[in-house]
Amino acid sequence: MISFELQITRPGFSLDVAGEFGEGITSIFGPSGAGKTTLLNCLSGLVRPTSGFIEVNGNQIYSEASNVWIEPEKRRFGMVYQEGVLFPHLTVKQNIEFGWKLIPHSDRHLNPLEITEILGLYDLQSRMPEELSGGERQRVAISRAIALSPKLLLLDEPLASLDVPSKTSIINYLRRVHDEFNIPMIYVSHSVSEVLSLASSAMLIKDGKGKGFGRPADLLLAASVNGSGLDMFENIMEGVVAGSAEHLTKVRVAQIEIAVRKQNKKVGDKVLLSVGANQLIITPEEPKLLSARNVLKGCVKEIWSNNGEALAEVDIGSKIMVELTEASVKDLGIVVGQEVFLVFKSSSVKVFDA
Amino acid sequence: MMESDISIVVLSLQIALIATAVTVPVAMLVALLLSRKNFRGRFVLDVFVSLPLALPPVVIGYVLLWIVGTNSWLGQLEKLLFGSTIAFTWIAAALAAGVVSLPLIVRSFTVALDGVDPRLEAAARGLGAGPLRVFFAVTLPLAYRGVIAGSLLGFVRALSEFGATIVVAGNIPGQTQTVPSAIFTRISSGDMDAAWRLAFVSIALAVVTLGVHNWLLRRALGRMSSNSGIRQ
Repeated sequence: MISFELQITRPGFSLDVAGEFGEGITSIFGPSGAGKTTLLNCLSGLVRPTSGFIEVNGNQIYSEASNVWIEPEKRRFGMVYQEGVLFPHLTVKQNIEFGWKLIPHSDRHLNPLEITEILGLYDLQSRMPEELSGGERQRVAISRAIALSPKLLLLDEPLASLDVPSKTSIINYLRRVHDEFNIPMIYVSHSVSEVLSLASSAMLIKDGKGKGFGRPADLLLAASVNGSGLDMFENIMEGVVAGSAEHLTKVRVAQIEIAVRKQNKKVGDKVLLSVGANQLIITPEEPKLLSARNVLKGCVKEIWSNNGEALAEVDIGSKIMVELTEASVKDLGIVVGQEVFLVFKSSSVKVFDA
Repeated sequence: MMESDISIVVLSLQIALIATAVTVPVAMLVALLLSRKNFRGRFVLDVFVSLPLALPPVVIGYVLLWIVGTNSWLGQLEKLLFGSTIAFTWIAAALAAGVVSLPLIVRSFTVALDGVDPRLEAAARGLGAGPLRVFFAVTLPLAYRGVIAGSLLGFVRALSEFGATIVVAGNIPGQTQTVPSAIFTRISSGDMDAAWRLAFVSIALAVVTLGVHNWLLRRALGRMSSNSGIRQ
C-alpha cells in the first residue's frame, strides 16, 4: 500500500498529484508530457518534490514537513524503464543479480534462478545485453527489478519501444509475474491497450494534475486519451494448440477453443492470441450459418459508454473486451448479466509464440 | 645510454608517475562535477581547471612558486612539515607536472563520463547501490578505457613538463633535473650527442604512450556508438 501527495513547482512545469494505491496493478496514464514519468521518479527517489509526502505500508519514505527523504537505493522499489537500461558490461545473469546481491540475505525472498525460469531467460543467462532482442532485454529488466524482492514495482512505459509480438509476450509475462510474486505494480503508460490488459485500477494525469482514479475502462472512456483510442485495444489470451484441421488450427484457451489460421505448430505448443476489440461482433442470439469460425457464448460483465462509443466486457471463460457503439448497445438491448455470443473470424486472431 | 641518462629518465618517470597518481583522483572528482552536476559556479570551475592549458607554463611555475614559496602561509606550513619549503624539490616538480596535466586529464575524463548513460546510474541506485558503489560498479567499468586513455595523456604531459618545473623546482641534477630540463642543460652547454640521447628517449616514450592512448580511445568510442542495450 502506497499513499502519496506530491507537489513540484518549477518554471514551465508543475505537478500536483495525490493517490493511494493498493495491491494489484495500478496504471498511471495520460498524454505525453503530463508528468507521469516525473511522478514515477518522485516515487523511486530520483527526483525530490517541492513538497508533499510518500508513505509505503505505513512507513514514511518522504515527508517535506518532517524533512524525511529516503535515498533511492534504500527504498527497494523495482524500476523497469522504457528501454531496459541494462548494464551493458554485465551478462544477463549479472544484471539480474545486481540488486539481489545488495540486499541482506534475510530480505532475499525470491530466487533469481526461479525468476529467470519464469521469464524464459534460462538459456540466455550468459549473454550480453547487446546480443538480446528488445523483448528479451525487457524481460531481463523485469527480472532484475523483481530479484530485489521489491515492495513495489514501478514500470515506466516498459513496452513503448517494442514490436507487437514482443509487447504481447511481455504483457503475458507481467501478468504471470503479478500472479506468481504478488508484488504491487505501478505501471505508467499512454497505451489504452496495455492499461486495459494489465491494470486493475488506474489514475489519469493531465497537465501535471490527477484527473481521476478508478477502474481503467471507466477512466479511459471518460478521458478518451488517444482520441478514439479504443480501436487499438487488443484482447490477449494465453492458449495451447489443441489440433489442426486442413486450414485451421484450434487453440485451447481456458475452457474454450478458438479457431485461428493454420499454424505450423505441434499439439501442446503454447501460444498467445491477440484479437482486436474492434474485430469482434456481439449478438444476443446464437447465430447460425456464418462464415466466421468462432462463435463463443459468454456473459456481459460490464458496459461503459461515452460520446457514442461503448465498450463491453464479456466473460467467455476469459475476459474479452468488445468495442461497439452506444447505438448498437441500445438497439440490441444488451445489458449487464445478459448471455451473448461473440463472433469473429479465424483470420482476425493474431498468433504469437508464448 | 649512460648511467647518468638512466638516472635522469628514472627520476623523470618517478615524478610523472607520482604527479599522475595524485592528479587522476582530483581530475575524476572535477570531471564528475562537470559531467553529472548542474551547479552554480560550474562555468568558473571549468575555466579554472582549463587555465593551465592556456597559460604559458612559466607563468604557472611562477604562480606555484609564489604559492609554495617561503613567504606564503602554505610555505610556513611546509616548513613545519618538511623543515623547509617544497620549492626546488622533486615534490615541487611533481606538483608542476600535475597542475599542467590536470586540464588534459579532466577533459578526457569528462568525455569518458559523458559517454555513460546517466540512466544506468539511476537504475543502479534504484537497485540498491549507493553513489560510491554506482561509481565503481557501473560508471568506472563503462568509462574505463577513456579513463586510462586520459591518465596516459596526463602522464605524457607530466613527463614532458619543462617551463613550470624549471621555475618552481629548478634544474638540480639528481634532485629535480628531469629529462626535458637535462636536455635543455645539454643543449645550452653544446653537448649535442648527450642531448640527442635523451631526446630519443622522450620521443620513444611519447610515441608508445600516445599509441596506447589512441588505441584505447578508439575502442572507447566504438563502445559508445555500439548499441549497448540502449538505443541512442
